[in-house]
Amino acid sequence: MPTDRFPSPFDIATPEGAEGWESMYDWYHLFGPERRELDEQRFWFADRLHHPDVLHPYDEIQCECWWQALGAFNTRIFAMPPAYGVDQRILNGRLYVTPVPAPQGDVAARAEEFGKRAGHYYERWDAIYAEWKEKVLARLAELRALRFDPLPDLEPESTVYEHVGTSAGFRMIRDFNHLVTSMYETYQWHFELLNIGYAAYLTFFGMCKSAFPDITDQTISRMVGGLDVELYRPDDELKRLAKEAQRLGVDLGADTPAAELFTKLRQDDAGAEWVADWERTSDPWFVVNTDPGHPGGYHVHPTWAEAPDVPLAAVREYVRRLDSGEAIDRPTDDVLRERDRIAGEYRELMAEADRPVFDETLELARKVFVYIEEHVLYIEHWMWAAFWSKSKELSRALAAMGELDEPEDMFFLRRYEVAEAIYDCVVGWSVGSRSRGADYWRPIVETRRRIYDALKAWEPEPALGPPPAEVNEPFTVMLWGITTSTVGEWLKADDEGGKVLRGTGGAPGVVEGPVRVVTHVGELGSVEPGDVLVCPATSPSWAPVFSRIAATVSDVGGIMSHTAIVCREYGMPAVVGTGNAVSTLRPGQRVRVDGGAGTVTLLDEV
Amino acid sequence: MSGPWVVALGDPAAAEVELVGGKGAGLHRLVALGARVPAGFVVTTAAFAAAVGAPEEIEAPLRALPEDAPVAAVEEAAAQARAALAQAIRTAADVPVLDAVRTAYRELATPATAREADGRTLRGGAGAMGEVEDVPVAVRSSAAAEDAADASYAGEHDSYLDVVGPDAVADAVVDCWASLYTARAVAYRRGRPAGAMAVVVQRMVAARAAGVFMTLNPANGDRATFVCEAVWGLGEPLVSGAVTPDRFVVNKISGEVVRREIAHKPTRLGRAGTEPVPDAERDLPCLTDDELAELLRIGRAVETAAGAPQDGEFAVDDDGVHLLQARPETVWSQRPRTVARGRTALEAVLATLTGGERDAD
Repeated sequence: MPTDRFPSPFDIATPEGAEGWESMYDWYHLFGPERRELDEQRFWFADRLHHPDVLHPYDEIQCECWWQALGAFNTRIFAMPPAYGVDQRILNGRLYVTPVPAPQGDVAARAEEFGKRAGHYYERWDAIYAEWKEKVLARLAELRALRFDPLPDLEPESTVYEHVGTSAGFRMIRDFNHLVTSMYETYQWHFELLNIGYAAYLTFFGMCKSAFPDITDQTISRMVGGLDVELYRPDDELKRLAKEAQRLGVDLGADTPAAELFTKLRQDDAGAEWVADWERTSDPWFVVNTDPGHPGGYHVHPTWAEAPDVPLAAVREYVRRLDSGEAIDRPTDDVLRERDRIAGEYRELMAEADRPVFDETLELARKVFVYIEEHVLYIEHWMWAAFWSKSKELSRALAAMGELDEPEDMFFLRRYEVAEAIYDCVVGWSVGSRSRGADYWRPIVETRRRIYDALKAWEPEPALGPPPAEVNEPFTVMLWGITTSTVGEWLKADDEGGKVLRGTGGAPGVVEGPVRVVTHVGELGSVEPGDVLVCPATSPSWAPVFSRIAATVSDVGGIMSHTAIVCREYGMPAVVGTGNAVSTLRPGQRVRVDGGAGTVTLLDEV
Repeated sequence: MSGPWVVALGDPAAAEVELVGGKGAGLHRLVALGARVPAGFVVTTAAFAAAVGAPEEIEAPLRALPEDAPVAAVEEAAAQARAALAQAIRTAADVPVLDAVRTAYRELATPATAREADGRTLRGGAGAMGEVEDVPVAVRSSAAAEDAADASYAGEHDSYLDVVGPDAVADAVVDCWASLYTARAVAYRRGRPAGAMAVVVQRMVAARAAGVFMTLNPANGDRATFVCEAVWGLGEPLVSGAVTPDRFVVNKISGEVVRREIAHKPTRLGRAGTEPVPDAERDLPCLTDDELAELLRIGRAVETAAGAPQDGEFAVDDDGVHLLQARPETVWSQRPRTVARGRTALEAVLATLTGGERDAD
């Protein structure tokens, strides 16, 4: 039982050079004296899963989206019995969160409501999900159709002859609002199905664990997953392009940059055919974000389509494996057959009385699991990629009009300030006068750029405030990988002299190797075979690296995190949710990763 | 109990627990399943009755014991019972039952006889004998009350390994009968009548390694887990807890060996007694993955046929894995094991979210 407590959020010093950081974020997102009494009593942990790095002011919108939507669906819409929402605060540019429990006395009444409301969704799940995809794709198309261009000297003739009735300046104001509102609305949809889906999945998970204490998480997910979900499609497309390259006899070279390679390939028919295929495939299947961890959280990480060297490296790796005679396809039929065999055999080993509920729960878990996997592609990849891309377009337009100095300066403004900047810019344009523009924003942006760099150097506390006696809120445990014992480990991290890092065993096995710290997709190229990848978290878009490394250690994530799932697939050890491996381990240091025990042992000092 | 005095393990009559005892019936079940079981026969409870007479008289001194009798008194009463049993056999002088045992041994030891029980050969007292080899056999008690699902009687009665020759086998059978009345067996029964004693006689396996298995995890009752412990040589030192065995935990469904604890094994029990294990083999696993897979397959087949988790003993020689016995597991099988909280998926979800009570276990 932890006896100590983490520092109070009110005692955390501002890093040198970051004075005034509070102005970068909305006031309601900060710890403030008005709710000190409440906030000091709460246990906050750094949400490195979704937000491992310092937030740009504009990117705060990402936090706001899920802060409100998750909360409303848990608290107000489905009446999730034990849990309200997850509260957020920003401190020194990092996001801290705390799950809000429902009052114990309300749980029974909420369960009754939840049964009716979630029950309605469970019964109609497939139909609701089909509609869900339609509305998300329609909104995605709408966002992608928005255009943020510098405002024209003279409106095009169409404004007159088609009786548009509005000005380009007004449309910029309107479209920015629509961009933001759309992202908010999409996040409502995101949580429309997510947490009730998780609840069903967790139930099946718990049932298996009670009946079969030895069962591995991997086995449970194999009983549930294995479907041909669209989340795997980007990787499947890489494999297909590898086979196409082989069929066409196209040489992809070893390390020619993508742009240069494509130009070279276009010079002959086969190469041109392959490049055309790549380009067709690229949208939508390479519109995947490369954030380490939860995709889409920051504007700074490119998509595969924007950074084609990343998927190209993966295609080259597949070509190499094909050349050496390996099969690279996911054996979908085998996986499905195996899934049904495993489930059938476990079912037979259950008490007979349990089998009907087992069947029903498995069926429901399988149904919801498709959404749990696929929504990431629709929302975290496609919607966020579109949002960031349009935001960058807007930022460039504002810079081009002199409202800002640099093409991406807009990301140093909060979204409300962006609305102000747009109005200032538009009104100057409309009147034919002069906006306050860059003169007004320049000192603000410059200050924040400096603060941002100072905040990046700050190593956030893994947690703040009094630790709970027990971390048993199922979503916290499953999604963030935070358990009673990890919290205990954080507390005593200093006492151990840092010889052993502890996390959750994400995939079994023991290996030793040198540490390779990677925090951005651009650093993947430096990974050597046999390295122990140490990262905030991994992303499906990091696929190329998994065939080279010996083990993975992540700061965040639980047993169902991408890191854990992929490492189990590759049969390599993973320790996830260590909290601070990235800041603690040094490149080149030798470590022993024990994916069963969930420990990373430092073998030498560098 | 009336019936034949000697039945082959594969004989349908060997299915009757009252006739052949728990161990005998268990072995018959394994033979019937097609498992590889060393050839052998059972000296039945009918043979016991014919040789020993009425057990009531023999048990009289034991029945006179008060419930809280001191150990010394139990010892003494047990000794009296054993004496009475020996007396009963002595009065029957040239016991025809023991002749039948000798005859059955000779047949078992005939080179023409299959080494594995298959249900066709080895009927006691069958036809002409060929040349008899010095075939070592194991002689094991098989009390009628033994190996019932609610009490394992593990190790409460005697067993004799490596018995060679017709007379030695007949003697060992009598010793097994007498072991109904050892003090520890009496204590274990706690007043229940001893019943009758059958005796299993089986060819010894020249075991390179041997051990025990359970078709569930004894630590937590997980029925998808198969646990096996094994040592070099014969399995007796393991069964008696004298040595630390290798331990293998296998997932029944994937066949994956999920845990391997390889013990340091400096000695083994061979035919000549305890002997050193060659240095190079002391820290090696004593079962190969193929042998584990074979054992898992056999164990699961037995479990499925019996409809209940099993534990058992096995030995491995150059022919592969031999099953020496299997019986219902008695600890977890007694416990309620339903885990579903609710009758529908939705009820189960609600129970998960509200931390609803699990069904008792």
